[in-house]
Amino acid sequence: MQPAAVTGSDAVDETLTEAVVDLVLRGMWRGAPESEHRPLVDAGLAMAKGPMVLPTERAKATAAQLLRVPAGSEQEERITAVYEAFLPVNRKIREVCTAWQCRPDGSANDHTDTVYDAEVRESLEDVHEAIQPVLRRLERVLAGSGRYMTGLDEALDRFDDGAVEWLASPLCDSYHTVWMRLHQELLLVLGISRAQDEVLEEELVRRSRG
Amino acid sequence: MSTTDGRSGALAQAHTPVAQAPTPGHTLVPYGQGRIRGLDAGELGTHGIAMDRLVALGLPVVPGLTVPAGSADSLCEPETARAALELVEQLSGRQIGDRGRPLLLRLSASASTEVAGLPPDLACIGVTAADADDLCAVIGREEALYEVWAATVRMIAEYALDVPGPELDDALLDAPEPKARVDALLSTIARHGTRPYPDDPAEQLALAARAVRGRWASPRARRSRKAQRLPADMALALHVQAVRIGPSDLSGYGTAVSRHPDSGRFAPQGSFFRGVRRSAPPPHTGEPLEKIGGGTTLLEHSLLTLERHLHAPVSVDFEVRDGEVSLLAASAQSRPPLRASVCLAADLAGDGTLGPEEAVRRVGPAQVQELLHPQLRLTGAEELLVQGLPASPGAAAGAIVLSSERALELGAAGTPAVLVAHETTPADVPGMLAASAVLTGSGGIASHAAVVARGAGKPAVCGAEGLRVDPVAGTVRIGDRLLSEGDPVSLDGRTGAVYAGTLPVTLADPPPELSTLLEWADGVRRLGVRVNADTAAEVNTAVALGAEGVGLCRTEHQFLGDRLPLIRRVILAADPDARTEALLALEHAQHEDFRALLSAVGDRPVTVRLLDAPLHEFLPPPGEAGDAATEQRADALREANPMLGLRGVRLALLHERLYPAQAEALFAAWVDVAATGVRPELEVMIPLVSLPEELAAAAAYVRGAAEAVAARTGVTVPYRLGTMIETPRAALMAAELAEHAEFFSFGTNDLTQLTYGFSRDDVERQVLASYLDRGFLTASPFARLDPHGVGALVALAAERARLVRPDIKLGVCGEHGGDPESIALCDELGLDYVSCSAHRVPVARMAAAHSALREPERRSESETVS
Repeated sequence: MQPAAVTGSDAVDETLTEAVVDLVLRGMWRGAPESEHRPLVDAGLAMAKGPMVLPTERAKATAAQLLRVPAGSEQEERITAVYEAFLPVNRKIREVCTAWQCRPDGSANDHTDTVYDAEVRESLEDVHEAIQPVLRRLERVLAGSGRYMTGLDEALDRFDDGAVEWLASPLCDSYHTVWMRLHQELLLVLGISRAQDEVLEEELVRRSRG
Repeated sequence: MSTTDGRSGALAQAHTPVAQAPTPGHTLVPYGQGRIRGLDAGELGTHGIAMDRLVALGLPVVPGLTVPAGSADSLCEPETARAALELVEQLSGRQIGDRGRPLLLRLSASASTEVAGLPPDLACIGVTAADADDLCAVIGREEALYEVWAATVRMIAEYALDVPGPELDDALLDAPEPKARVDALLSTIARHGTRPYPDDPAEQLALAARAVRGRWASPRARRSRKAQRLPADMALALHVQAVRIGPSDLSGYGTAVSRHPDSGRFAPQGSFFRGVRRSAPPPHTGEPLEKIGGGTTLLEHSLLTLERHLHAPVSVDFEVRDGEVSLLAASAQSRPPLRASVCLAADLAGDGTLGPEEAVRRVGPAQVQELLHPQLRLTGAEELLVQGLPASPGAAAGAIVLSSERALELGAAGTPAVLVAHETTPADVPGMLAASAVLTGSGGIASHAAVVARGAGKPAVCGAEGLRVDPVAGTVRIGDRLLSEGDPVSLDGRTGAVYAGTLPVTLADPPPELSTLLEWADGVRRLGVRVNADTAAEVNTAVALGAEGVGLCRTEHQFLGDRLPLIRRVILAADPDARTEALLALEHAQHEDFRALLSAVGDRPVTVRLLDAPLHEFLPPPGEAGDAATEQRADALREANPMLGLRGVRLALLHERLYPAQAEALFAAWVDVAATGVRPELEVMIPLVSLPEELAAAAAYVRGAAEAVAARTGVTVPYRLGTMIETPRAALMAAELAEHAEFFSFGTNDLTQLTYGFSRDDVERQVLASYLDRGFLTASPFARLDPHGVGALVALAAERARLVRPDIKLGVCGEHGGDPESIALCDELGLDYVSCSAHRVPVARMAAAHSALREPERRSESETVS
């Protein structure tokens, strides 16, 4: 989908590109100082709503264009291979977050069952082990993607220090928040829609799990 | 494995083979024979113990054996592994390598207690590259075998054959298909391993045991034990199980629980997976139990037997081979769903397995509270728009918003919004945070949207099929309906239902089994439970929830709203006539209020507290009094600290007609209601007393009012007169106050404020969090009655009052009346009742019962000490 409002990335001041990509991948900035978001707001790329700064449709289209690698390129092919390895783990991390928040019967996890929580922590370790080779490969083919491993490591450290919101809270750069950003970047880099993503993930999960 | 060096070990073995190499007969314990051989959980592991129990109950189990923790290392030796293999072959009546009725082995581990981070189970022991395809032909599904086999080979490669992890990762990333993965792993082992992957099943089993041991000793597993505060050298028992391979239409594995999580009734629920069993079956890929070829009768029988044996909702792991169920594991559910616990307690007591007291013991007050969660109040006339997946619990109603932007705008205006999106991206997160609920068309309960909604504590329904958002038109199609941004919808994140319009959100009614248990609880408890209720509607709700009466009826609301001008005139009027006229109007309005309230109360007790508002609530804002003279009078009445100023009985003593007018309205209403055959037990209560003289004066007003009503109607209204105990002085003067009072009601909110010298609003904002952090306090004294200070004052007042008036009635009407620990304290102090808000009444009933059940324990403890 290419909204008519966007005529090309050259329409955006180059000094703003990094910021607009960051804002779109994060989905919001909370409590960002005026000096940071003012240039984006002035350029029609962001809107301030109370303490939140949101990307505009134009910003989303711009970021999509900036991030997209050339269709049919060798780089696209190599990132696609990584993305396909990412998807089954992407399913697992959401299951781990779900298990942390809810017990298998759907009731809220009140974190009084230490064995259960330790089991969830174990499956988080499985995810962390599984994503590392994937991100190592991604770093070789997508510049700047190394920050995701750093972000995941940091979130896991905080979680292990007892700040459990660092697993799944949307209010901090939690494991899940960093992960969502990584996912969003892969989709924009490859020009894949959420619907295509969902279908492909299901297919890969089914294939790998018999 | 022996830790001595190879030569001397071999030498020693050559001389004394029996002592060194454990005899297989003692090392290998078939399921069901552990206890007979005198082995405990330390040796058998939790799994060995559970299998023993199943065998003892006569339930069908999968053939297998335990290598006890003390000799588990011996399984790393091929001779022991071979003996284990042969024993399992014998127990299952099958042979490894038999192509018609194939058998594989599975190795698992368990510790003496339930722990996390055990090495994963290793299945597919006994497969070779040559016969894998034959096995697949029997199963009828290729992936089922290769995927599990790959996991086993991967772990053996890393932990028993010393292949570097990154080599294995790379091999796996380059080979996405399960069969190719196994090939890639086997060739990586050939290149980097200490030896090739063996074809001999006994050697595979020995390597698998070595891998389990290596994994248990890995840094990751050590870290996990440390985090769980488990001993670093915790031992593992090993278990070798038969995996009998059969066609996937008749074979598989699964898990089941005995009770339905929502209804709590006995109705086995679970998932059935086809193919070769895996330690962690992928969630959301199972089929319902009804799909088990061969039926669920045996499974149901097993679950029922286990429930009666363990007195708990149970879960089992099972295997199905050619339509026949056998059990792999069984235990009491560690955290059964609440409804299941409640229904089981009622069922067990119903058939005489437990006494009612024991049933009551099994359901705590906190669980009662959780069962009464907020939900949409349904009448049956609602329009159900769509049924999605219950993704995050809670109920909410609000206006549809289709963008984060709009959600934030409505949020800022304080309007509840429901964010509706087909799918969510990071850009929707701010909208989810601002909205009161979330509805998505795609994704399941493990979607990003669901994770974020739960993380933010917002109710959510996900995967609502057929949801179509048109952002340009600002519309969304839900089911058959086309709705626009701004239209109201309501959703329940526990059921997944989405309704048109704004439905009221109220607390759930207690399920019938809980009502039964609460009735039993009423039979156990000593402490009465009343409600704090100001209106007839609140009384009706509370009575339905089991309140025995009203412990506190506040009358302040009778003076607010459209009656505010009247009370202002009473306080600010310049001439006595205007004041009297206003008082008469107030008295008339109150008469109506009281009549409705008393009718709802019926023959139960009701404590009516006369006016206790601080004066400033009745004063007009500066500049709005009307004329200058009134403004001046209002100014003169403004106080520096109204909460400690002209309030309660103090205001009544300055405005001498206030209490008589209120009391006359109350007594006259009683006369009206009594004429209909209802006789509420009236209790009139004077607030904020600290001097016995205040109480004596106020009591005289009330007596005068009763006499006036008697003179007017010819009916002498029966009533008791009492006082609130809210100030430390009142508590200390309890003996003197009891001369005038037939009952006390401890207003523990004010008593706590004044005992600590805490202004609640201020300390809750600034002080309490820090005090809790520092450990000065373990709970807010406003949430949990302080047993040492405030509790001591209550105890002292009770003691002194009873010296003067042994039959004085004592109750608590602060918010503490709904807190289980505070209720237990009131019970210990020997008070007669607690009074709490309507929705806490069931909690208080259960808390009072639990306190009574603890009483004999407490007594016997103190006897032991003395």
